[in-house]
Amino acid sequence: MRPGNEPDGHIVRAVLAGDRERYAELVERYRDRYARYAAQMLGSVDAAEDAVQDAFVRAFDQLAQCQDPDKFIGWFFLILRNRCFAEQRRSRSYAPLEAAGMVAAADRSDDGMETAERRRALQQALLKLTPEQREVFVLKHVEGLSYGEIAERLSTSVPSLKMRMHRAYDRLREQLREQA
Amino acid sequence: MTESNFHPRVKQLLDGEITLADLPPELRREGEDALRLLAAVDRRTIEVAGVTDRVMSAVRGRTPARSLWRRLIEPREVRLRVRPWLLAPALAAAAALVLWLGRTGAPADAIAPTAVTVRFLLVAPDARSVSLAGTFNQWDASATPLVRTGAAGVWTATLTLPAGQHQYAFVVDGARWMPDPAAPAVDDGFGRRNSVLAL
Repeated sequence: MRPGNEPDGHIVRAVLAGDRERYAELVERYRDRYARYAAQMLGSVDAAEDAVQDAFVRAFDQLAQCQDPDKFIGWFFLILRNRCFAEQRRSRSYAPLEAAGMVAAADRSDDGMETAERRRALQQALLKLTPEQREVFVLKHVEGLSYGEIAERLSTSVPSLKMRMHRAYDRLREQLREQA
Repeated sequence: MTESNFHPRVKQLLDGEITLADLPPELRREGEDALRLLAAVDRRTIEVAGVTDRVMSAVRGRTPARSLWRRLIEPREVRLRVRPWLLAPALAAAAALVLWLGRTGAPADAIAPTAVTVRFLLVAPDARSVSLAGTFNQWDASATPLVRTGAAGVWTATLTLPAGQHQYAFVVDGARWMPDPAAPAVDDGFGRRNSVLAL
């Protein structure tokens, strides 16, 4: 088995056995993907980077509490989610302004002005949702998870997720109309 | 439904359950608007390459807290305690207890049960709602509501939890997070105190 394909559980057990340098493999494997989740949740790439870093350090400290090492990433996600929600409670007032930084990074791409503008508008509108509404939108439409997968990850039901999402759709539409 | 709300069929379109062609003609334009919204979603990966070095610098010299975990999951008695507690001017008094109701999944003389039924109780006479958020429900403040059981403002919820360590907090009126004053608490690392229950 190539090192890059080694199951998370093998690496977690190796770290717990004392080979802490192998933790870097888990960080490399997941940092960028979960930075995207955090950036969408927090509206700032810088805040997302801090959140992912803190969450990985926190996960290392609590690694022995990961009851199923083969499901490390689901467990890590909950630590990162907790961190993002805590950050939102602290910084709710300036989050919309921080969003400009995230969009500025997005605008450096080769996409046209219209695409960049639509992205900016949607990003601003996303930040007006409740964190719970924003999360379900991000997990479904950014991370590409199904309602069933999100329900399993968040230990909730598909109908309650759908209700949350449908309210998010309406709120986004309202926000985008106000921006237009 | 207000003017800004999407039609339920259009929400099905956004959920990926139907296609634009499945919409009746009068909803096609609204459906196209909805799809334009999804087209603006930014799915590009964000590179945070510096995180690996910073994380590894932070964890070198540390050891995952195995010994603490071992200590916490050792079977131990959960005692019933009631303690008055001032929440805020709006809440005259609050107290909480964790009541061991019973064990399931293991013989009575087994050393370690697989699941334990626990009753959470909070006295919050002026609260409009109380819920539990914790490691057992992924910190979802809406997943485990407590039920008001009497005029004295006693809120309760009974859960069967797997044996082991759990962290939790009460959420009052959907917004105010408070640790259980009758249970030990730990810093969650993000500026909040979580109560700890070891079963």
